[in-house]
Amino acid sequence: MREGMEKALRNSGADYSEIRIESVDASWADFRGKELDSIGSSRTLGGIVRSLVKGGWGYATFNDLKSLEISVKEAGESARLVGKKTSKLAEVQPVVDKVVSVMEKDFRHVSLSEKQSVIQGYNETILGYHDKIETSNVAYRDSFRKVWYANSEGTFIEDERPDAGVMLSATARDGDNVQRGFESIAGGSGFQIVEGLEGKAETAARRAVDLLSAPPVKGGKYTVVINPKLAGVFAHEAFGHLSESDFVYENDRMKELMVLGKCLGSKVVNIIDDGSIEGLRGTRRYDDEGVKTRKNYLIKDGVLVGRLHSRETAAKMGEGLTGNARAIGYQHAPIVRMTNTYIDKGTDRFEDMIKDIDLGLYAIDMVGGQTAMEMFTFSAAYGYMIRDGRIAELVRDVVLTGNVFATMMHIDMVGETVEFPPSGGGCGKGGQSPLPVGLGGPHVRIQDVVVGGR
Amino acid sequence: MATVNELIEKAMKKAQGAQAVLKRTESTTVSFENDRLKSVKSAQGTGMSVKVILDGKIGSSHTTDMNDADGVVSRALEAAAFGSPAHFEFPQSSKGAEVAIYDEAVLPVSKEEMVWVGEEMMESVKAFNTDILLSAGVSKGVRHREFANSAGSDFATSTTSFGVGIHGQWVRGTDICMAGHSFGWKKRDVDHMAVAAEAVNLFRMAENTASVRTADMPVIFAPEAVNVLLLALTMGLNGKNVLLGASPLAGKLGQRIADERFCVTDNPLIDFAAGSGRWDAEGVPHQMTPLVQDGVVCGFLYDLDTAGRAGAKTTGNGVGCDPTNLVIKEGDISYEDMVKSTKEGLVVHDVLGLGQGNVISGEFSVNLHLAYKIENGRIVGRVKDVMLAGNAYEALKKIAAIGDKAEWAGGGLLTPAIQIDGLSVVAK
Repeated sequence: MREGMEKALRNSGADYSEIRIESVDASWADFRGKELDSIGSSRTLGGIVRSLVKGGWGYATFNDLKSLEISVKEAGESARLVGKKTSKLAEVQPVVDKVVSVMEKDFRHVSLSEKQSVIQGYNETILGYHDKIETSNVAYRDSFRKVWYANSEGTFIEDERPDAGVMLSATARDGDNVQRGFESIAGGSGFQIVEGLEGKAETAARRAVDLLSAPPVKGGKYTVVINPKLAGVFAHEAFGHLSESDFVYENDRMKELMVLGKCLGSKVVNIIDDGSIEGLRGTRRYDDEGVKTRKNYLIKDGVLVGRLHSRETAAKMGEGLTGNARAIGYQHAPIVRMTNTYIDKGTDRFEDMIKDIDLGLYAIDMVGGQTAMEMFTFSAAYGYMIRDGRIAELVRDVVLTGNVFATMMHIDMVGETVEFPPSGGGCGKGGQSPLPVGLGGPHVRIQDVVVGGR
Repeated sequence: MATVNELIEKAMKKAQGAQAVLKRTESTTVSFENDRLKSVKSAQGTGMSVKVILDGKIGSSHTTDMNDADGVVSRALEAAAFGSPAHFEFPQSSKGAEVAIYDEAVLPVSKEEMVWVGEEMMESVKAFNTDILLSAGVSKGVRHREFANSAGSDFATSTTSFGVGIHGQWVRGTDICMAGHSFGWKKRDVDHMAVAAEAVNLFRMAENTASVRTADMPVIFAPEAVNVLLLALTMGLNGKNVLLGASPLAGKLGQRIADERFCVTDNPLIDFAAGSGRWDAEGVPHQMTPLVQDGVVCGFLYDLDTAGRAGAKTTGNGVGCDPTNLVIKEGDISYEDMVKSTKEGLVVHDVLGLGQGNVISGEFSVNLHLAYKIENGRIVGRVKDVMLAGNAYEALKKIAAIGDKAEWAGGGLLTPAIQIDGLSVVAK
């Protein structure tokens, strides 16, 4: 593979060129209700050429490896059409490396029938939990991605990226009242992570049934304690995307908003993106430009101290490389993305966070979220009211909304233990979804959060 | 390279039924970011899929490698050995529906021409205000698909596509207004200047900001925001959700669920529309399916297997029972008169947070990302930091007015503006 890629690159005639080829072997099995809905496998081979001429990018994607040289030519022509200025990329020491994945139980050696029978058990757990359980959706997915990356500066990297996961969803119904309970797990360490999840299946079913009798939360402003998963979502969705430099480097308003050294949160707020933490879903040795990943502080003691870069944005902003250029697959060029994003630990115990709250909300996990610049809207999976310093009744339809900067200023307590819940799904940006990312944090307390509701 | 019929032959050595699809796609996308041309991308793709029925069970497999005919067939057979039970037989050969999906004029469009289309749209918005930071995109594509199954169905289709979009960010002090417009279908004939003009119109209406109080008030959903009202309904009309009891519409065939002026049809037979086609993905000819007539549920969408399980007939919405083009029937009042007759209310164009939470039950609680205030029959400015909450099914019973002009609102939705009475508006 290496020889063919390097040969094709030699004739690119561009200021910079790279080729990324990927093979993906994937399989899936899905239960919806009592019956297996779908089962199968796929095999994908494809690549992308990316060329830079006078600051303009040209991309060409292909499935047929025989057309590699034609695609290099095509990407170069497109780049020449775009480029009118000068090409700028941050300097990287060329590297030749091979990343070999290690799985405790390699899912490629697990038969489709075994994958199916594991999730069939979870499906039966959900359906048999209660007579109010109307239906279920239990889905297994795995993919073994092998990436070959070469660029015109001499870097050549082979990288194996396994990912396997299970999604467990229970639907309970009482007349027109339909509620869902949802759990998921995913990761790269092997098939064993999807085994033995009967407890999680039961949790999803119990929550769906319990939510049938839970009232919707009453809209208003509350002191809110968010759990580690929701804290991770907040770090990623509400704040993290603003520190992706492709939103910033050509946007004067964003530059002003995100000036390094600016105080953006209360003193207890620390937010980090780190693609090098072993065993998390957003972890890679190199990003998709061949840049080594590392630990990057975004907010330290409430102050903006860093942001995430590709080689282009780092060069244009005159800042250091962070290893955050990522693509979901060969059909896409790498763009600035997060890896594993988390709120760092503080010093507070959970009991201390809730004990002086007369009326508040404990918001847990997430079922959806959307942001626009500094505005965010998140739907927690469920929540509990906090009354007189104690966790009280279960509530549903918990939607949190606000301005991220105001909200970070209102964080007054941060828990002492960071957790990275190994959930599935992923991040979406610029038509590239889902990208595996890690999310985490401790419990976090925020004052004056607007909670939607009728 | 194998043909679809060779794939069927290979599969039928063991299977009792088989379906094969070969795909070739080509597309070009021109992207503008932060006011300038950023990249040009060309994509070429191939794909080969096989679905088999073996001893009454289904298995499927997919590959991009056109030389892996033996592999794709054997993996589908492997999956079928313990696959889901089949509740259908592959459909026989049919003529397919009459609908235009291919426009030769798309093919010769050069990258240079696409760049020019994007630049014209950007210039047009900049002519309104140079402070608006713009991104834009122009794309074209062609897809060739060959289909065959063991029941004798065997056809090839070619589909073209062309689309444009422009989106801007307008910053004044601490205020950020984001708005844009896009349009795409299967035809080259796209009025990109009209798309840019609509974006300008949205920014012009946002020149002033207006305040809004927390109250129940009438809300007009512009076509691109009507999905707030339709998302739950679309999921509820999905035959699989009905079969599994996840849909609140299960068991409600023949019952009134909405205002009597409200009619919804799935129509894949509109020439050049985004969701149009002659056959669905299972080789079933496309058809028009009335779903809600005069506010009464009159049908659900089915694919072959779900129809088999439900004791219904496929509506040609395979695979997945999802709509093709959803068409909402026009009413009798112009958008202008709808605004004029409103004393205090809102017009919503874009929301944040749709599709979160308990969507299928109809509950929504969204942030108004782009919305305007109506006072005494006039749009007086853009509103900010406002949430809208309610239940989509309840809202459809409280329709105040339906506009007389349907427009394409992103992909396969053709709808007029719809005004709902008394929705809960929460100002912060």
